[in-house]
Amino acid sequence: MTVFKAYIKVLLKSKFTILLYTVMLVVFGILNMQMNDTGMNYTSSKADVLIINDDENKGVTKSLIDYISSNSNIIEIENDKEKISDALFYRDVNFIINIPKNFRTDFLEGKNPQIEIQRTNDYPSYLAYNLLSKYIETAGYYLEFINDENQIIKNTEETLKTNTNVEISSKLDNDGLSKAKTFFNFSNYTMLSGCIFIICLLMTVFNNEKISKRTIISSTNYKALNRKLMISNGLFAITLWLIYVILSFIILRKQMLSFHGLLYIINLFVFTLTTLSISFLLGKITNNKEAINGMVNVIALGSSFLCGSFVPIEYLPKFVVNIAHLLPSYWFIISNGKISTLESFNFETLKPILFNMTILIIFIIIFTIISNIITKYKRKIA
Amino acid sequence: MFTHNLKYSLKILFKNKTLIFWTFAFPIILGVFFYLAFSNIEKTETFSSIPIAVIENDTWNNSLTYKETIKVLSDKNNEDRIFKTTYIKTEKEGQKLLNEDNIVGYLIIDDTPKIIIKKNGTSETIFKQVIDEIQEKEKTIENLVQIEISKNKEENIEMIYNQVITKVMNLSIEENIKDVSSSKLSYVVIEYYTLIAMSCLYSGTLAMCMVNKCLANMSSNGKRVSVSSISKGKLILGSLISSYIAAIIGLALLLIFTTLILKVDFGSHFALIILLSLVGTLSGLSLGTFTSVICKSNENTKIGIIIAITMLGCFLSGMMGITMKYIIDKNVPIINKINPASMITDGFYSLYYYEGLERYIFNIISLLIFSFILLFISYLNLRRQSYDSI
Repeated sequence: MTVFKAYIKVLLKSKFTILLYTVMLVVFGILNMQMNDTGMNYTSSKADVLIINDDENKGVTKSLIDYISSNSNIIEIENDKEKISDALFYRDVNFIINIPKNFRTDFLEGKNPQIEIQRTNDYPSYLAYNLLSKYIETAGYYLEFINDENQIIKNTEETLKTNTNVEISSKLDNDGLSKAKTFFNFSNYTMLSGCIFIICLLMTVFNNEKISKRTIISSTNYKALNRKLMISNGLFAITLWLIYVILSFIILRKQMLSFHGLLYIINLFVFTLTTLSISFLLGKITNNKEAINGMVNVIALGSSFLCGSFVPIEYLPKFVVNIAHLLPSYWFIISNGKISTLESFNFETLKPILFNMTILIIFIIIFTIISNIITKYKRKIA
Repeated sequence: MFTHNLKYSLKILFKNKTLIFWTFAFPIILGVFFYLAFSNIEKTETFSSIPIAVIENDTWNNSLTYKETIKVLSDKNNEDRIFKTTYIKTEKEGQKLLNEDNIVGYLIIDDTPKIIIKKNGTSETIFKQVIDEIQEKEKTIENLVQIEISKNKEENIEMIYNQVITKVMNLSIEENIKDVSSSKLSYVVIEYYTLIAMSCLYSGTLAMCMVNKCLANMSSNGKRVSVSSISKGKLILGSLISSYIAAIIGLALLLIFTTLILKVDFGSHFALIILLSLVGTLSGLSLGTFTSVICKSNENTKIGIIIAITMLGCFLSGMMGITMKYIIDKNVPIINKINPASMITDGFYSLYYYEGLERYIFNIISLLIFSFILLFISYLNLRRQSYDSI
C-alpha cells in the first residue's frame, strides 16, 4: 500500500501532462477514424468522376453524361486548371473526362472525335475508364448500322442496362467491422505512446538516485517492489484501456455490441498488458526525461508504421512484414484483422487469435524477466 | 567579438544532444518509417490483375464467348490483362477460395451468369462490369443482326451475322479516348515534403535555445551578457546565424538522405529546391526567435509551443493523412496561406507537379513575409530592453 500511495502522489503531481497527453492521443484516434473514411484505404464501388463538357448538353453527349453519372459519383469542381489538377493529385477525383466542342455532331458524322481523359491509374479510375469506353464502343457499333440519333441512343442505353446477378456470400457487416479494425489498429499507437511516456515519467521519480538508495536499504524485496510498482502502473494502463473501450462504444456502437466487439476488447486488453511490461522495462533502463521523449516517439511510431497500425498490413512491403514479426504490435494487429473477418465462433476459427495472444503473453513474460534482471544488476552497482 | 560569439554558439548547439536528436536524427528516422510504410502503397493501388475463379460446368464448356473472353483477359502476355483466373469444378471449392481471400469472387453460368462475391468493393465491381460487358456485346450483335435483317429481308441470316461480326470486329475505340494524365501523380511524396517542412520549423528550437542565452530574464548566462559592454545586436545576430548554420547542416543531411537513399522525387529544379529549403529554415528560425522573445516562460514551455505549432502545421499540411492538406486548401484556404509548414510543402509540391513557377514564387514570397513580420516584431521587443533589477 505504501508503494501504491506514493505512486498515486506522483501521478497526481503530473496530472496536467497526463491529461493533455491522453486527450491528444484520443483526439488523434478519432481524427484518424474520420480521415480513413475518405482516405486511401477506402475502396468504393464507384469512381469519383469529373466531367468537363465543352459541347452542348444534347443528344449523344447528354446520353453519355447521363450514363456515366448514374454509374459514378460526379464531383463538381470549379473550372480552373490548377484546382482540377490539385483534385486529381489528391484523389478527390479518379477520372477526368473532357468532352470536346462539337463532340455530338462529329461523332454522328463518324469523324471519331477525341475525348481527353486524365486518370489516377488506380482501381476506381479503371472502373470509370471502362464505363466510358463501353459507351463509346456500343454507340459506335450502332452508328455503323443506324443513322437516326434517337435510335442510336435508345439502343445503346437499352443494351448497357445489363445487370449481372450478384450474390454477396458474407453475412457480416464488413464496412462496420473494418471500421472497428481501423479504430483498434490505431490504438496500437495510443497505447504504446501513452503507456511508455507516462509510466516512464512516473518511474523516473522512483528511480531517482536518492529515493532508490533508500528503497534498496529497506527490508522490501526488490521483486516485491517491482511487482507492486507493476500493479500500480497496471491500474493506470487499465484506465487507459477503459477509456479506449468506452470511446469505441461511443463511436462504433453497433459493432461493439457483438461477439466481434468483445474479441476486439479482449485483444486490446492483452496488448495493454504487453505495453505495460514494455513501459516498465524502459522505465528501468533510463532515467533521463528527454531520452524518454525520444524513445516514445521512435518506439511508438516505429512499431505503428512497421506493423500496419497506420497503413494496412496488406500494403506493406514483404521485408517490412518479416521484420514486424519480431514486434508485439504485429501480433496484436493481425489478430484485429482476423477478428474482422470471423464468420463463426468455435475453437477452430478462434485458434489463430488465441495463438497470437499466447505470443503476446510470452512477450510479457520475457519483458518482466528482463526488468527484474536489470533491477537486480542496477541494485548491485548502486 | 562577433566571430568569437558565432564560434561558441555553434559549439554550444552541437553539444546539446537533445536538440541535435530532434533536429538532426528524428526527421531522418521518421523518413525511414515513411519509406518502410509507404513504399509499396502506390504499387498496391495501381491496377493489377484481379484474382477470380470460374466454375467449369457444362454450360461453361459450351459457351464459347465466355470461355474465350475470360481466357484472353487472363492471359499473362496480354497487356490489358484484367483477371488471374483459377478454374474449379464445384461451388464448394469457390466458397473455400473466397473465404480464404484468395479470390474476390467466382462466376457460375447456368441459364444466366451469376457472380458470388464476399463483399462490395472496387475489384468486385470491375469483375461484374466485365461480365456485364460480355453480355452487352452479345446483345449488341443480336440487335444489330435484327436491324440488318429488317433492312434486307431476302438475304440469309448466317451471312448477315458474319457481316455484322466482321464490321464490329474492325471498329476500334482506341483512338477516341486520349489519355493526357501527368506521369507525376505519386501523392506519397507529400509525406516527405511535410517531413522537410517539419525539419525546417523544428530548427526554431535551435534559435530559441540560442536567443534564451542572450536574454537576461531567461538565463544567468543572459544576465552576465547583459551587463557586459558588447553590442546586443551583434550578439543576437551571431547567435541567430549560428543556429541558422546548424539548422542548414541538419536540413542538408535530411535532403541528401531523402533524395539519394530514399529516392524521393523533388522535381528537376535543383537550385529552387535549395532556395526553398533556405527560406523554409529562415521561417522556422523566425518562429523560434519570436516565441523566445514574446513568450515569458521557461525553456520547456517554449519548446513545447514550438513543437505544438510545428506539429499542428504539419498535420494541416498533410503529414498524418495526405488528404488533409487538400481538404483545408479547398474549404478554408486562408489557414494554409498563413501556415508556414503548408507554404513549404506546397512549394515542393508545385515544383514537383506543376510546369510553371507562379505558385512556387508565391510560396517563397509568403514565407519571406512570414519570417520578416515575426523577426520585425521580435526586434521591436528586444530593442532597448533593460532592467533596473531582475
